[in-house]
Amino acid sequence: MFSRIIALLIRYKNISFGSVPRLISIFYWPSVQILFWGFFTNFLISNNSYSGLGILNIILSAVILWDILFRGQLGLTMSFLEEIWSRNLTNLFISPIREFELVISLIFISLIRTIIGLTPAIFIANYFFDFHLFELGFFLIFFFFNLIIVGWSIGFLVSSLVLRYGHAFEELAWAIIFILLPFSCVYYPLDSLPPIMQKISIIFPPAHIFESMREILINGVIRYELLKNIILLNVAYLTGSVVFFLKIIAVSRKKGLLINQGE
Amino acid sequence: MNNNLINVVNLVKNFDEQSVIKNISFNVKKNSIVGILGKNGAGKTTLLGMLLGLITPTKGDIFILGKNLKLNKKEILSEINFQSPYVDLPKKMTVEQNLSFYSRLYGVKNFNTVIENLVDDLKIRNLVKKNYGSLSAGQKTKINLCKALLNKPKLLLLDEPTASLDPETSIFIRNYLLEYQKKNSSSILITSHNLDEVQAMCSNIILLKSGEIVSEGNIKQILKNYNYKTLIELFLSEG
Repeated sequence: MFSRIIALLIRYKNISFGSVPRLISIFYWPSVQILFWGFFTNFLISNNSYSGLGILNIILSAVILWDILFRGQLGLTMSFLEEIWSRNLTNLFISPIREFELVISLIFISLIRTIIGLTPAIFIANYFFDFHLFELGFFLIFFFFNLIIVGWSIGFLVSSLVLRYGHAFEELAWAIIFILLPFSCVYYPLDSLPPIMQKISIIFPPAHIFESMREILINGVIRYELLKNIILLNVAYLTGSVVFFLKIIAVSRKKGLLINQGE
Repeated sequence: MNNNLINVVNLVKNFDEQSVIKNISFNVKKNSIVGILGKNGAGKTTLLGMLLGLITPTKGDIFILGKNLKLNKKEILSEINFQSPYVDLPKKMTVEQNLSFYSRLYGVKNFNTVIENLVDDLKIRNLVKKNYGSLSAGQKTKINLCKALLNKPKLLLLDEPTASLDPETSIFIRNYLLEYQKKNSSSILITSHNLDEVQAMCSNIILLKSGEIVSEGNIKQILKNYNYKTLIELFLSEG
């Protein structure tokens, strides 16, 4: 089992970090985002008397935490789509690989890509804006894993849809996250949304995660009911998306979709 | 069943309302080379897909190496392999990286030595450092064949094994496969539109037409029974 997972991880490592442009593409966007939001927030603070609440910390924490979700989803989806683009699915599925080994490998490569992508952004934020993400303490780890789990859930969903319905769904790999963005309350509190949107927001884990983050950074309060919601929702979404992914592979075998899939 | 490497029993495959494989049964003996023939749409690719576990049959059973494919898929897949010009390897990796990747997936022991030997045997040493995506169609065919031999398969399924190869390389690959089959006592299943190649390599054929087997058995015997001189004549009349 481990040799097959390691084989897949080496393959995904080669795809992701095999050339300088591909490596740069992993970390340039989070770093650019941090610089953009950091300078913009600094500008707002310097032109306002409203600077006492550590607004910079809140904005930069939100930017980095949101990017964990985005990078997590993209890392998983792109690694799987690469198999389709390179017409490698047939060879992959006629090997003795088990579906759960593919699932584990995709999760691990997404984790590695996300960490590598975000590390320079965290250092840039620290250097230019004296921003300390680790002020969130233990909850940074909690938020990190819960956000990346949301990314994996979306990643498995998108990968399943592309496998089943073809290239038309590839656009979703980039777009779906932005459908979720307004409901995630990344930059504003939940109660600033209209009531109908609030009802939708609370069925997704990110709204609870970003509410928790603001409570910790602004009031220094840990709201355990939010943490409980995050865990319960994530368990449900990740389980559901993996089961859906495995089910779609089974359906693809029935419909003969695993032969000659590709560009 | 013991002398058979493959037993296909009452196999049916329907895609929605369309029946692609219509209740076929056949055996492939150990240590043999069998050609699967048929015009486009006869059901060859679907049959290969089912033998590889890529397509789930609607009805029927496939036994490979005496084991039911439905129940022992992973075990069987580690003993077989497949090559097709229509299936690529990862393009963004070098040939060497691809061969190492698949060796690991198949759990090949001492895979560096295995790769080295195959690379020399198939005369592809000049390609190992190149990106797979940069190779010509003919070079890819050779690399795909190398990948298909990594786990020393007891059953090798080949789809157009010499497609895109020049005549000299085609003959080289054909002879290599014949030698490989004898040396390793494996069985090879070939689908090809190159009937001369099938006649040169295979002892037996299975002729498919619209998802049904219209002829099966020893080539010489079939030609004699139908009073044809060549496979092309048989194919044009019966296929």
